[in-house]
Amino acid sequence: MHTDPDHLDPNVIQLPRPTAWPMILALGVSLILAGMVTSVAVAILGLGLCLASIIGWFRQVLPHEAHEPVPLEDAAIAPTSARTLLPQTKEPAAPHRVETFQLATGIRGGLAGGLAMIVPATIFSLLKFHSLWYATNLLAAGGFVSWGGASDAFLCQFHLQGLLAAIFIHGLTALLVGLLYGAVLPMFPRYPILSAGVIAPLLLTGILHSVLNVLSPLLNQRIDWFWFILSQIAFGLVCGYVVNLQTRLRSAEFQALPFAVRAGLHGNHGPNSIDKKDSSR
Amino acid sequence: MAADAPVPAETAQTATTHSAPRRLVLDILNDWVTTVDHKKIGLMYIGYALVFLVVAGIQALLMRIQLSLPNNDFVSPQAFNSLFTMHGTTMVFFVGMPILFGFGNYLVPLMIGARDMAFPRLNAFSFWISAFGGILLYFSYFGASGLYGAGSAPDVGWFAYAPLTARVFSPGHSTDYWTLAILLSGIGSIGTALNIVATTICMRCPGMKLSRMPLLVWLYLVTSSLVFVAVSPLTAAQIMLMLDRYIGSHFFDTQAGGSAVLWMHFFWIFGHPEVYILILPAFAFANEIIPVFSRKAIFGYAAMVAASVGIGFISLSVWAHHMFTVGLGAGANTFFVLATMIISVPTGIKLFNWLATLWGGKIHFTASMMFAIGFLFQFLIAGLTGVMLSIAPFDWQLGNSYFVVAHFHYVLVGGILFMIFSAFYYWFPKMSGKMLSEKLGKWHFWIFLIGFHLTFDFMHVPGMLGMPRRIYTYEADRGWMIWNMIISSGAIFQAAGTLLFVYNMIWSYFKGPVAGPDPWDAWTLEWSTPSPPPAYNFAEIPSVASRRPLWDLKHPEDPDSNYE
Repeated sequence: MHTDPDHLDPNVIQLPRPTAWPMILALGVSLILAGMVTSVAVAILGLGLCLASIIGWFRQVLPHEAHEPVPLEDAAIAPTSARTLLPQTKEPAAPHRVETFQLATGIRGGLAGGLAMIVPATIFSLLKFHSLWYATNLLAAGGFVSWGGASDAFLCQFHLQGLLAAIFIHGLTALLVGLLYGAVLPMFPRYPILSAGVIAPLLLTGILHSVLNVLSPLLNQRIDWFWFILSQIAFGLVCGYVVNLQTRLRSAEFQALPFAVRAGLHGNHGPNSIDKKDSSR
Repeated sequence: MAADAPVPAETAQTATTHSAPRRLVLDILNDWVTTVDHKKIGLMYIGYALVFLVVAGIQALLMRIQLSLPNNDFVSPQAFNSLFTMHGTTMVFFVGMPILFGFGNYLVPLMIGARDMAFPRLNAFSFWISAFGGILLYFSYFGASGLYGAGSAPDVGWFAYAPLTARVFSPGHSTDYWTLAILLSGIGSIGTALNIVATTICMRCPGMKLSRMPLLVWLYLVTSSLVFVAVSPLTAAQIMLMLDRYIGSHFFDTQAGGSAVLWMHFFWIFGHPEVYILILPAFAFANEIIPVFSRKAIFGYAAMVAASVGIGFISLSVWAHHMFTVGLGAGANTFFVLATMIISVPTGIKLFNWLATLWGGKIHFTASMMFAIGFLFQFLIAGLTGVMLSIAPFDWQLGNSYFVVAHFHYVLVGGILFMIFSAFYYWFPKMSGKMLSEKLGKWHFWIFLIGFHLTFDFMHVPGMLGMPRRIYTYEADRGWMIWNMIISSGAIFQAAGTLLFVYNMIWSYFKGPVAGPDPWDAWTLEWSTPSPPPAYNFAEIPSVASRRPLWDLKHPEDPDSNYE
């Protein structure tokens, strides 16, 4: 808002003065371009309008921006509400502390689970291919198009770029799945071994089974699903254990909370609190 | 006649009867043509977009009549090509963007407690140049010469792939009209985006930190920033195309060392962010309307802001999923598949947060809220088919089929248009001072909903059966007829619903009940002004202490500022 220091009347407000020059400039520019598909006379007319409107516009803002006084209307508004519930007339008897999802919990769980997952994957490599690097390279192949037809012998050798790619892919995936565990597990605090160690790994395996051919055809051809599920269970158990440790999900108080509170949909304070829902109308 | 001389009543009547209306009309016209008031400019944007909505809607109806039966010749193939070109171009550039900029123009200063936009004259210029762009595009029906002689409207499709736009394939000026109209519209879009960003950054009222800004304003800030990045390549491409056509340069001429794929990159690096430029304001409306009619504050404000900004960034890295069928190579395909899939994460966060806002709320099923709930379901489905199409092999099968047409109409109509209707029912009382009829609004909702699903649910099927987009007609033995009949019948429902909406607006404007300043018991600053607001918006610049300043004013015993 630009104010004119010469106008100090409290009953008027200074607003930018209406002007046709912006419209005329727009018309001029449009006609210049329209001249390309119609006639040069149209373009010349547009040029004339442009020049006139540029001068007119400058005169609107130089040396001082033109204003017009607008009288204040006498219409004071008092905001009112139809809300009938007055929530804070008494304090809640025993406000319960709501556990909320912490980012660090999911990250710690994901990293711990990611490390645990390496164990069965390495055992698989050693038992089936007598190599430490087979599973690593198989995972890394998803990132290298040129590895699409790699032989088993190639995958059994150490490749620095394969190791780096596998660390990146595995680390990022473990982190994201860890965050997912950290967000979801507090909603289902009962039977943590079942939910984190069995149900979640099987669900994730199912999802991956359906899309792996798109993400990494080589991995899809050579993956051993039995060992993969074992790795997932190792991830789930360790990640779930870490998440459970951090958020104290096992307390009876937490487990007694309604799902909406456990899921963070409601707290007992703040604009989203159950008490503060508007009961009007 | 001397101004002070007394005039007999009869003479005065005679003198004013004929001349007063003329003066009044001219006064009104002058008032609107010269205005730099953000509210009037916003209303002009909306009015002009509604006119083009009707025009482009009629074009869609004509196409649906043509396709409802096999071997039909209701319109000529030439006219059909122009119809789908003008329909797409109009809906994106002269309906979607203006209507959303119109709401932004009207609402952003009011919501942040400002008296106008940062650059009021630039605001007027931006509107008028966009409007003249639309007029120039439609003047092609009379003035353009083209492949089929005089009076040829553009017929190269709304994304105007090279080499079809080269002089040899598009002689005359019809394609030039398209290029120049888009160029003018782009200048207007960038001007308005600049204004919205400057207004949001510089003109917030005291106390309105970024963390207290209404989500609508956040979304408009992201949208406007996207406009800067996305519209510039399109403008550059239009200039390159003009150079190709006028002075014989070869940017897109493959036979002279140019690249047709270059045009695709230029177009889609605008084109896909454009989808988000259109949908983010629709999200913005949902962010304001769903909480008010759930009688709860928005769930996860910070996550909503982060998701909006995230969508803004990611949307700049997904454009080539429109080009999977070109054969980009495995590396590029993989990148764009993953980038496209990842954008569903912040979008999913938004959907979950809207559901969480509804959860446990006292939901008021007004016409506005019904359209918003329709939007939630339909946008979810649109997102799911989007994820399907983001997978390159799937896209290879269904790219350029009616499945794709169904998908993006689910986004544009099921998502954006539903939220635009919702926004009309919500903010019309503020803009006009009159309430829209709820009864007519609910009829509008149900009729349009039925029409929408008849058209766009069933449109997926012929796509999967192999019906390509932009096809003029088809043989009877293809098995597409029944689906096209259903699709076309749905279009008639949608047209009827839209007519009802237009009738509702006109009737309510003249005969509707007075709205009052705050008919929805809402919480943002625009509802603290009279309806319609005075030219200066606020007699005194307000100060705020929370994200819901009107809640705080209405409930001093329990202000949000205690919790934020």
